Amino acid sequence: MLRFKPRLPRILSSFGTRLLSLACVLFGVSLITFTMTYFAPGDKASAIAHARYPDVQAFPPEILAGIREEFSLNEPFFIQYFQWLARFVQGDFGNSFASNASVWDIFVANIVETLSLTSTALVVGLVSAFALSAVAVWRPGSLSDRMAVALASIGAAMPNYWLGLLLILLFAAQLNWLPAYGTGSPAHLVLPAITLAFWITASQTRLLRAFFLEAKSAPYVETLRLRGVSEAEIFWRHILRHAAVPALTMIGLDVASLLEGTVIVELTFARGGIGSLLAGSVLSRDYPMILFLVMFSALVYVFINSMIELFQDILDPRKSLLVSQKSELSKEART
Amino acid sequence: MTLLSEAGSLEETDIQKTEHAKDLSRFLARIGAAILIILIAAAAGFLLSPYAPNEPDFLARLSPPSKTHWFGTDQLGRDVATRLLYGGVWSIGLALLITLVGAIAGTAIGLAAGHFGRATDVTLMRVTDSFFAFPELIAAVTIAGVLGPNTVNMVLALILVGWMKFARLVRSLSVDLAHRDFVIQARLNGLPSGRILWRHILPNIGPNLLVLWTNAWSRTILSISGLSFLGFGVQPPNAEWGAMLLDGKAYMQTAPHLMIFPGLAILAAVLSINFVGDRLRDLIGGNGVTAN
Repeated sequence: MLRFKPRLPRILSSFGTRLLSLACVLFGVSLITFTMTYFAPGDKASAIAHARYPDVQAFPPEILAGIREEFSLNEPFFIQYFQWLARFVQGDFGNSFASNASVWDIFVANIVETLSLTSTALVVGLVSAFALSAVAVWRPGSLSDRMAVALASIGAAMPNYWLGLLLILLFAAQLNWLPAYGTGSPAHLVLPAITLAFWITASQTRLLRAFFLEAKSAPYVETLRLRGVSEAEIFWRHILRHAAVPALTMIGLDVASLLEGTVIVELTFARGGIGSLLAGSVLSRDYPMILFLVMFSALVYVFINSMIELFQDILDPRKSLLVSQKSELSKEART
Repeated sequence: MTLLSEAGSLEETDIQKTEHAKDLSRFLARIGAAILIILIAAAAGFLLSPYAPNEPDFLARLSPPSKTHWFGTDQLGRDVATRLLYGGVWSIGLALLITLVGAIAGTAIGLAAGHFGRATDVTLMRVTDSFFAFPELIAAVTIAGVLGPNTVNMVLALILVGWMKFARLVRSLSVDLAHRDFVIQARLNGLPSGRILWRHILPNIGPNLLVLWTNAWSRTILSISGLSFLGFGVQPPNAEWGAMLLDGKAYMQTAPHLMIFPGLAILAAVLSINFVGDRLRDLIGGNGVTAN
């Protein structure tokens, strides 16, 4: 009774504060994103005109003036910003300058590639990270432990596009086993997924190893050991379970790095997807597309992080203190 | 790391503390010396090299590693070893500059958030959170790309996306320190708050800041070479490691050494800075759960 009663209002009030600060952050995110494109050099009206009439080289000033009127480009900054925000909130993301197709349609067509790459890499990477760190903590300080730590250190320092290039060099250029660039068959997925998965494995092995070690030296494990429970059972039934919750939280926090890694891997392997879409839109100054993609990545990050924080609060308010302190660190130490 | 290291240092005796400080300062001196030596060696290396980084030699194009060209030559016959040394000054030096600016700006913002009342704190931290919401590389690609891909815009973009970590760390540490006895004592003694920040808060934040800074430094090297490789940073023919990889990508089949050496250089630089950072963290007593 005593344990339960004071918890509910605390969660509710912390939920309220979270929601308020979430609203602030979302507002800030949209403001920063819009400012970035608003102050970009170059004439936006002629960019729109070129997208509309691809065959025309030069435009008479009347047409440009008409476009400025239509897209309210003459209005002051804040008017333009709120107009854009109002449309964005309603789900109207505008049309791409480059193809004049709806931004949302282009995004949907591209997200499939990204999701298939990310999910494959995530599964492979996490499974090998769990396996590797489990082997590592079996005998701390042993050869396998040191190998796992070395792999994690090298993986953290390894530029993932370079790993991608090396894989292409070996498996596509020299051995001719797998296709190097492009999308299409499942074979095209292998090298990019390995590249991304390696990075996931490296970054998570180090964390998981630390969590496992911490759990292994906890007093309750010592008690189990004294009771004569076998090491294998301690690991599978107790340590794994206790390390899993904080470990999964940490993995969730790395979503920003995952998005970054996806961009790099997609561009290295010339795959379709959100990353190459972003790079292409940035180079062609396709502002509606840029605005949407940058907002999207920020929203994904904010959303996942708020979910994790909420989850921690509900699961265990005492633990949330400890984990959020550690997760701060992982944010600081994001690769 | 922060709170736990605070707790750890509280339990230490004075003698241990001075030993600790001696260890730390000795180690810091060594790091400083090592970095200086590496930078000078790289700079001197490419000055001493018989080749210029951008000097073409069309008779020796794409030649494999040999006695005259240790790491081979690229598609224009430029000496890869010379370009690597020259590129190292760019990669490591630019990353140093970017992280220093980010650390100073972030520290200023974090201190301001921690010390000028609740309204300032909430405002500054929500701004920091908003900037934090953008994945670093995506924001950097966008900023550098929209402004026009070149070195200056890349540096600008990386500074814009890199200061938040410092602001968060400094704020949380300084809020924590503000409740410690010696700071309260200083305040009761009537010290002006600027002096408290400078004499009492900042020196105690220093070691943690340094660990974060080495971490940021190595990751910025990765970001610089990554952006350059993607075409959003240092542009070829300038010899930066990522730009060299981009340059050599087309000759992967005939001249694989163009792929190998720049990547190894990045790996070595980042790995060595990470090792320094790890050692530093051990020295100031972290909890070991941080990733790189």
